[in-house]
Amino acid sequence: MTRSEATSRLVGRLRDHAVVASLGHPAYDLFAAGDRPEHFYTWGSMGLASSIALGVSLAQPSRRVIALDGDGSLLMNLGALATIGSLRPPNLLVVVWDNEVYGTTGGQPTATASGVDLAAVARAMGLDACVVTTLAAFDDALDRVEQAPHTMVLVAKVVESIPAAKPPLDCVAIKQRFMAALGTPEAGTRADPR
Amino acid sequence: MSGRVTTTLLPPSATPAWAPGICAGLHASGIRHVVYVPDNPLSHLLDGLARAYPDVRQTLATREEEAVGIAAGLYLGGVRPAILMQSSGLGNCANALASLLLAYQVPVVFVMSMRGDPGEWNWAQVPLGRAIRPMLDALGVPHVTVDRPEDAESIVRATCDTAFSVRFPAACLLPRRLTAPPVMTKVRHDAK
Repeated sequence: MTRSEATSRLVGRLRDHAVVASLGHPAYDLFAAGDRPEHFYTWGSMGLASSIALGVSLAQPSRRVIALDGDGSLLMNLGALATIGSLRPPNLLVVVWDNEVYGTTGGQPTATASGVDLAAVARAMGLDACVVTTLAAFDDALDRVEQAPHTMVLVAKVVESIPAAKPPLDCVAIKQRFMAALGTPEAGTRADPR
Repeated sequence: MSGRVTTTLLPPSATPAWAPGICAGLHASGIRHVVYVPDNPLSHLLDGLARAYPDVRQTLATREEEAVGIAAGLYLGGVRPAILMQSSGLGNCANALASLLLAYQVPVVFVMSMRGDPGEWNWAQVPLGRAIRPMLDALGVPHVTVDRPEDAESIVRATCDTAFSVRFPAACLLPRRLTAPPVMTKVRHDAK
């Protein structure tokens, strides 16, 4: 299972979900799999995709929110799992693309290549977590969280792949489109000319 | 070198004079969620918000950088956020402030209780404390210093209102001369 294949599978299932993607390859693959206004592509702030998604999930408890994190980026902000584990918003799903390398920066191995188990970390933080290695198991896990909404950390062991496209670099446009799609257009902007 | 910390607690007072105005200013500007990393003076704001403004949610973050991410997500979802933290946390979140809040123009208001400014007793807090305003200036983040309790509400409210109107972060600095608790702390290094 490559990250690109799994991302396409995920995007094919989305309805009104908001998706926050970590910078680099997770964001590139999300854009390549099918751009949607409910996608928030980060271009910096490595490690914060899950925290941003947590904030969105707290602000909009009736909308399902998905973070697309990487193993390297989540390792940069493991405290995020403690906060998510203490709050457990049922509308939040954290997908960790675990390719065991820093794929965007040259393929250096991450700690997960040496046996560090991010799903076990998530469980220790009080979260439901699972590891999948095939597209079928990935689908099953998504079915499970869809049928019984709860906070889940889904660690998808993926093979690194070269993204086919990159999202636009216009950060402000990404933000304004995302907010408008979430029903909270930013005050004073073209989306909400008050 | 060992030291002995001697602390003299003066009689405990109720809410300090500077706290209610800051709470009122945050609430009046529409802030409904504060993300915080704990700090002694700020605990008066958390208590004051919980008592006077129970419609303001409070979320504890493990680190200031994480708080920036959570606060940004709250704003994206339609809730106006503030971050309460010690000024030392600016060092922990500089990249997140720059590459998320500044790049995407996400208005998060920081309320920072100062460390390392006049009144500080701990040298380890001083180097970054001296750098806080130059760092904010270098990043282009507007900041105000709340000097007097009677100005707190209006200055905090104006800072927040402008941040949300122009869609850009801002910081309200609470110097130790404003917040210093009625405690005298001395570290004696001659003590065994």
